[in-house]
Amino acid sequence: MNDDILPAELLTTLNEQFPCRAPQIRRLAALIGTDEAPSPPAIVLHGLEATGKTAIVRTFLDTVEASYTWIACHECVTVRQLMERISAGVTENAGGIDTGRAGDVCALGVRLSGALSGAERKHFLVLDRVDRTREGSSVLFAALGRLGEMIPSLTVIFILSVPKPRLLSSAEPPHIHFAPYTKEESIKILSKYVRRIPFQDIEEYTEEDAKEELYVWQKFCGTVWDSLAKGTARNVVQFRAIVDEMWEPFVKPIAEGKYGTRNYSSLYLLHKDMFRRETSVIDMVVPAGAAGEKAATNMHDLPYYSKFLLCAAYLASYNPARQDATFFMKSNDFGRKKRRGGGTTGPTKRTSKNRKIHRRLLGPQAFPLERLQAIFAAILPHRISSSADIQMQIATLTSLRLLTKASATDVLEASTKWRVNAGWDYIRHVARSVKFDIEDFVAE
Amino acid sequence: MESTPPEEVYVEEFDPKEHQGCYIFTLDGEEDRPTKRRKTKGKQRATEKAAVEEEKCPFPVLLDNTETESTIKLRYQTYCKLWEKQEKRTKAILDSFNSKTLDDVSAFVKDATPEKYEGKIPTALVLAGPNIASHELLFEQLAQRIRNQDRTGPVVVLTSKDATNLKTTLRKLIRDATQQDEGVDDEEEDIIRKSAKLLNYDLQILQTWCGLHEGQKVTIAIQDSEAFDSNILSDLISLFSSYLDRIPFVLLVGIATSVEIFHDKLPKSAIRLMRGNKFDVERAEECLAQIFNDSMMSDKAVLRLGASVCDFLLERYRDHTQSIQAFVAALKYAYMSHFYANPLSIILGFLDSIDGLGDVLSTEHVEAIRNVPSFRRYVEGRLAAKEVSEVCKLVTDDDYVRHTVAEKILESRNYGIKLGQALAFLEIGRSCTLIQNKTPRYELYAKALSGELQTSPLVREFLMSLKRMNSTTLLNLFEKIMQEVQIPAIIEALGPLQEKIQKLVDEAEASGGKKNLISEFDMTNNTLRGTAVSKKVRLGEQKSSLTKQDTEYSGLIQQVYTIAESYLTTTFNSSENGLQNVFLHEIFFYDLRSPHSAVFAPKPRATIERGLSQPQDYLACACCTSTDGEEVGIRGSQAPTSIIYQLYLESGALINIYDLWSAFYSVIAGDEEHFDVATAQALFYRSLAEMRFLGFVKHTKKKTDHIAKLGWKGI
Repeated sequence: MNDDILPAELLTTLNEQFPCRAPQIRRLAALIGTDEAPSPPAIVLHGLEATGKTAIVRTFLDTVEASYTWIACHECVTVRQLMERISAGVTENAGGIDTGRAGDVCALGVRLSGALSGAERKHFLVLDRVDRTREGSSVLFAALGRLGEMIPSLTVIFILSVPKPRLLSSAEPPHIHFAPYTKEESIKILSKYVRRIPFQDIEEYTEEDAKEELYVWQKFCGTVWDSLAKGTARNVVQFRAIVDEMWEPFVKPIAEGKYGTRNYSSLYLLHKDMFRRETSVIDMVVPAGAAGEKAATNMHDLPYYSKFLLCAAYLASYNPARQDATFFMKSNDFGRKKRRGGGTTGPTKRTSKNRKIHRRLLGPQAFPLERLQAIFAAILPHRISSSADIQMQIATLTSLRLLTKASATDVLEASTKWRVNAGWDYIRHVARSVKFDIEDFVAE
Repeated sequence: MESTPPEEVYVEEFDPKEHQGCYIFTLDGEEDRPTKRRKTKGKQRATEKAAVEEEKCPFPVLLDNTETESTIKLRYQTYCKLWEKQEKRTKAILDSFNSKTLDDVSAFVKDATPEKYEGKIPTALVLAGPNIASHELLFEQLAQRIRNQDRTGPVVVLTSKDATNLKTTLRKLIRDATQQDEGVDDEEEDIIRKSAKLLNYDLQILQTWCGLHEGQKVTIAIQDSEAFDSNILSDLISLFSSYLDRIPFVLLVGIATSVEIFHDKLPKSAIRLMRGNKFDVERAEECLAQIFNDSMMSDKAVLRLGASVCDFLLERYRDHTQSIQAFVAALKYAYMSHFYANPLSIILGFLDSIDGLGDVLSTEHVEAIRNVPSFRRYVEGRLAAKEVSEVCKLVTDDDYVRHTVAEKILESRNYGIKLGQALAFLEIGRSCTLIQNKTPRYELYAKALSGELQTSPLVREFLMSLKRMNSTTLLNLFEKIMQEVQIPAIIEALGPLQEKIQKLVDEAEASGGKKNLISEFDMTNNTLRGTAVSKKVRLGEQKSSLTKQDTEYSGLIQQVYTIAESYLTTTFNSSENGLQNVFLHEIFFYDLRSPHSAVFAPKPRATIERGLSQPQDYLACACCTSTDGEEVGIRGSQAPTSIIYQLYLESGALINIYDLWSAFYSVIAGDEEHFDVATAQALFYRSLAEMRFLGFVKHTKKKTDHIAKLGWKGI
């Protein structure tokens, strides 16, 4: 291809900095090229998260010293803000005269052609994460794509994750795909950031040590990929976070001198449990283990009746209303008996025919407040007369969003529907804390 | 959650006509018309009003309208004075209560940098508990602390009310953050100049501001994360994250439920952007305990709550509100209603200087004192002791009564203080033993007042385990008690024993290196032996294994036990030391439950239902009330709405209007053959409209000529 447009050493340094991305860099070089060579009006770069799109384009443009404007689209809250940023950015970078700001795409076109009319160099407008623009529409993207056609010296580079066919509604612009890294590629990339083994008794860090470290690191990365990352964290950033987190406990025996660097398999057997646990895969604000055990002793509790109200709301949401009589009538207990005696019959032809989806999977259904209060009165172990306090607790549950309003009518309207907004696990925990067997009342 | 009473009561502006739908307007005088309020006069009027307020006493005239104005005023002043003191102490407790959380969070904010948290937004999850009313206070304190004390930068508190959409949220955030510093004027101008061209929701404004204020962190506190729209919250988080390299954000998230629910609310990609720590706010129960101990049991407290009000408040706290603020409001209400309705409450103002009391008490007051049950009990006690002349004087001589009251009230007041000390002793004692269920003092209090503690296992359990204590725990217990409660009776008796035991321990340590002396009553080690005989054998063995110091120690612990037992049993003995024997305890203990339940936990629904279904309870008219007190059922003489309601109760979920009408007509016509149909229809329509207004029925499209039933009785 036209590699000769750019000096070869430039590509080599880029390839060193970003391993496994040689074809993409070559294509970029061809499309962006030097100031003498023409560039297409629009280029689309696409690929999943953490595949190096942003970093490579940015470094590339910096290294070839192109004139460009970088717009982070995800930082713009409205289209107007995006337009203003683009016009301000291009005017500033291309050295044109500040002619005020553009509020929409049409004005933007005029401003940009004014700003770039006298420019001798090509100008690149990079729209990073353009698919995450809020309020963005397909018309907007198409119009942005046309900017490059209207203004000869402008090239618009779109960076997005998944391209839609006919995104720009024009003759297809060149696309460059940044494919997700494979296992080998990921490990190769991570090998650039080998973490040290914190040896205890080391005086001098030798070449030998570095080699050993690399060996363990690569093996370790492979194991992590196969056991955890393959299914849960395929992008290289998350993969690296997991590896980082697990590295130190893993190599602790080596650091202490108990294991050598070469018997990896026995080290793996020692830490087998580590690769089965999911703690490092699940995202949490507070890292697990940091304050885990302290929390259990000091839990904030809902008031006693609020818990019952919550249980009642759950039952109202997940039980069909016509079964209420069987579950909550105090006089006849047949509902529960029926459930307990059902074990012997086995699945008949009729049940298998119209098999129903489990109610819990259908999501919470809306219910009127009167039903919640009736169920609440039925499940309480003793009678209390309804006072303003109960209503207040319903209001509190609503502001905690454990209970949500499901219809658009006024709160005080008797026909307003409500819905529970808490999962089964939480409800079961709440019910247990007040010694209420909620399992007996849930319809299946 | 609480309703605050209006600050000012515009009594003089009240016009009874304002509430009538129509009335005849009479122009009989200029001053009868309410004066128009003008904005310019607002301030002046406010000060005038304050002056009037001071003069005027909102309390009514008691004692059959014979109470003098000065005593009413005194009553009001005493109330204001005492509550002010109590409120000050309560506020101090509330303010100091969050201090640990505040310390932790402010330390977190101080050293939070994105680099420390792998380039993610430093986030503090503040678990503030389900009592939403206290969150505002907490976050205000946090903001104050970070803004004024730590000076790490601006703090913006966002509530869900501010966050209706992303744009307005950002606008508020930027405005609040950039206008907080008292900053130099030209700096301000610089920001304005640079950001003049930016939209007012562009975070670049904040970025410019941060450029000018190096090293300042922008703390965003999200007060009620549950109520936030999750889309807006995750949008905000992703925006913060992308600006993190330019604006050093720190995020505080208030969580009322649990961290898991917070995690469920947000998408994983947003959670991945945050990293930090969580901070527990201290449980509200501990705060309640402190406030309760201070207001009921400390020696500073003057008015205390009686057992039934206390039960009511604690029950309401535990089962319904879990709100300290609600508890404090109820306490204030108790103070207010005590002074509002009890003419004798003025006595409480004279605790520090009894001399003036005799002059203030009028003949009516004295008469009122004579009517108080505890006074009667006192007189009967005198009579039983055959002090006839004194009884005679008490009944006839007013001055002697004044004298006796002045003499006795301090004693009565000390009852509360002593009780508080005994309960503190019991609580501390129980906390030192191995007893599993730790009963807090506020629960013991109500029990002690109602005389339940006398025979309660709570005391017995403590005494038993006291006997079994080894020397380390016992000395620990002594130390705590000496520190926290000053009971002369106990300290004097236990002081020498403590010294002796300490000496024994030292001796034992010196001789054999054994630091812990075991009581011979301690049987916890040998529960494995099952049979009675083997136990006996074992006991013998153990006894023989005791050292000389151990035996001596056992003797001493027996003495400790005796002292503690006699102290606790006499203090909690209801027949000797019960509340009803305390002279004038009605003044020192407020124990009326019904005003509280009517004010704080009204039952509107049950009241309406009762009014409609049993109108005779309210009307008490001859026509609707049966003579023998049986149920009356539906009668034509009842109010039409009530008839409709009772018919309504008998119907199903959908009601045919015509059926209802014919039933109604047959009831209202009764035996009369030619009841006017038009009148009946008018009554019917009006009653049905009232039913709709009350929210019992509504129109439905499910069936023609039907209405839907919305409410059932007794829920």
